[in-house]
Amino acid sequence: MKRREFLKLSGALTGAATTLYLPAGWTPAKAAAKWKIGFSQATTLEPWRVQFNKDIEAEAKNHPEVTLIITDGQDKTEKQVADVENLIVQQVDALLISPKESAGLTGVVEKAIDAKMPVIVLDRNVDTKRITQFIGGDNVLIGKAAGEYAVKLLGGPGKAQGNVVEIWGGMGTAPAHDRHDGFHAFTDKEPGIKYLLNNQSGDWKQDKAYNIMTTALRNNEKIDLVYGHNDPMAYGAYLAVKDAGREKDIKFIIGIDALPDEGVTWVHKGYLTATFLYATPGAEGLRQAIKLLNGEKIPPVITLPTLLVDKNNADGILKKNGLL
Amino acid sequence: MNLFRLLARTKLYWGLALICIVGAALSPHTSSGRNIFLSYNNLTDVLRQVSITGLVATGMTIVILLGGIDLSVGSVMGCSTIICAMLLTQPGWTAAAVMGVPAATVAIGLAAALFIRFVFNGLERGRDVDAGRRREIVLDAWRGWRIPALVGLAAAAATFFFAASQVPTKFGVLAVLIATPCFALMLGAINGALVVKGGLQPFIATLAMMVSALGIGRLTAGQDNAVIAVYTGTNATEAFEVLRSMVWGLVPMPSVFFLAAIVAFGAVLRFTTFGRYVYAIGGNAEAAKLSGIKVAQVQFAAYVISGLLAGVAAVLFVAQYRQGKPDAGSGLELDAIAAVVIGGTSLMGGRGSLAGTFVGVLIFGLLSDILQLENIDSNVQLLMKGLIIVGTVLVQEQNFGQLLTRWRSLAPSAAPALAGSAGPGRPPSAAEAPIEREDMHETS
Repeated sequence: MKRREFLKLSGALTGAATTLYLPAGWTPAKAAAKWKIGFSQATTLEPWRVQFNKDIEAEAKNHPEVTLIITDGQDKTEKQVADVENLIVQQVDALLISPKESAGLTGVVEKAIDAKMPVIVLDRNVDTKRITQFIGGDNVLIGKAAGEYAVKLLGGPGKAQGNVVEIWGGMGTAPAHDRHDGFHAFTDKEPGIKYLLNNQSGDWKQDKAYNIMTTALRNNEKIDLVYGHNDPMAYGAYLAVKDAGREKDIKFIIGIDALPDEGVTWVHKGYLTATFLYATPGAEGLRQAIKLLNGEKIPPVITLPTLLVDKNNADGILKKNGLL
Repeated sequence: MNLFRLLARTKLYWGLALICIVGAALSPHTSSGRNIFLSYNNLTDVLRQVSITGLVATGMTIVILLGGIDLSVGSVMGCSTIICAMLLTQPGWTAAAVMGVPAATVAIGLAAALFIRFVFNGLERGRDVDAGRRREIVLDAWRGWRIPALVGLAAAAATFFFAASQVPTKFGVLAVLIATPCFALMLGAINGALVVKGGLQPFIATLAMMVSALGIGRLTAGQDNAVIAVYTGTNATEAFEVLRSMVWGLVPMPSVFFLAAIVAFGAVLRFTTFGRYVYAIGGNAEAAKLSGIKVAQVQFAAYVISGLLAGVAAVLFVAQYRQGKPDAGSGLELDAIAAVVIGGTSLMGGRGSLAGTFVGVLIFGLLSDILQLENIDSNVQLLMKGLIIVGTVLVQEQNFGQLLTRWRSLAPSAAPALAGSAGPGRPPSAAEAPIEREDMHETS
């Protein structure tokens, strides 16, 4: 009896707590919209994905004729498959999807195509040729830009000298390998560049990179350049350098992603030397979908360009995003 | 014989010594020829790196000694880093303040009331013996709840005014150090209540909390903020730096918290009735209940302690890595359980110690450090850590001497068995048949 009462009470409390929270995240659908566009996001736990959603939502505000439905796959393939199935049932006019992984989501994307839905795939592709369009950044290209820049910092082509620490993103993830390969396409040509670490993965995380860098600093008396596969890891390395009191020795720290409230802010504060933009395809994806619904032709592939963010243009980007 | 037993009993410490020797032997040297692994800075770094896992493992040990498990610690810590980071960087009644301030008020109030009652109950028992029944009438008020309740209310009010006074500006170090662990403690209390009152299995109850705490963390931070950055001196108080400084240039602050927790709860487990109850319940909950131990209260307290320590770990995480994020502690519960198990605590409960956990945490930390200093590929590191867990637990779980003797007794009959499997069609001999049967028992 007591136990039942307890369960009842805790149930009621949980319900009450949830209701209190709901209004924050819940937005009612706009009335009188011409088109319904569904967007299946893989996860919103990573800052880059959060920016991605911000970009697409900001773009949607410019188009009152569109109702945008965003779902969150919570970093689980099966949840995202269910999300897309749900969007198919809702008969959206176009489907945007940024898949968590290609293999697990190809099936449900084909199901949407079979239901006569135009599908635009963002960031990571799926294993089918039947999609309407793919929009994404090119990590090899960004890695190359970072590599070229690193060579320039260390003395220029043919003369570059220095000890480099590279902190990997998640091992076995395509972006990490692409960012590695692109970088090395330039730096491997330089006989003066020495690599100090052997495939050390910070798993994209600031805290793990901090610990890797702490040991690397202990192990090596001379480090010239740190290359993190993303900005939080580069920043984590900077914090380790700062805590070890060696900001003077380590000349350059480079990251990738250039989110306004992360990488760009850190460049602006002088923590990072530079970061390279890995643009989110959010805004472009929605624009392309609207073009398509208006009857225009759209190309099968769009590759988003990168951008070097250093102390010269960081302030401008922050101002544009209302952060300065 | 006695020496052998002593060696067997202290085998965990020998393992630690072995790891240290291996680390020192393999370690790279600085250009001036100093051994890096043995350098003071490296060893204090290891001690700092293990502190967060260590704090969580301390609470986990008590829960596991009771035969329970707490899967929620990682999420609870992640959620608490958000609370901590928000309190530090955002003024006003944010979601974090709305939850943190009442949590601190209630937790401190109750703790004060319980403490006063505990102290006076003890005093009274002593005096009763001295002075006989006459005093009992005078002391009656102490024995009841009236005075503890008054003290509790006073403490709660003081906490509330202290915390609320910090809300309009941002929270200071002390306020964060009170509010964040108290918030985590509340989540731990929910775990405890679900297990004790709801009658849920610990695995299920804490699994549910593991999922919900992640949700609470994300909702609190808001959908737009997967990560809350803390820049001390810019958007948060500079005093917060204290929590990752070196104390007198000797010990990292996080390690001070870790060592204090180990010593305090080690003493509780060893010298107090509460500690004896923990072992008794873990050994046989039914027997403990029948002999009059308040099993539910002890279990409840264990989950509360586990939550509290996860909250302390959260503050230290924010201080060290300058950020709060909902998934900060992902996988932490497994690291903590691994450390507890390496330390020789049985997952069935009733057997183990905090000293073991301390060594287990250190073994894990030193191992990571050696692999990192040796610059071993990340993937190989994972594999080696897995092997070390299996190895140490084999040595720990089975009585190692027993394992050796059993192996030796198997050895003569194992040789023909191998030969038998090589030669086709040979029927198993009588000698190897019982071995096969024994294996089948273990696998099925």
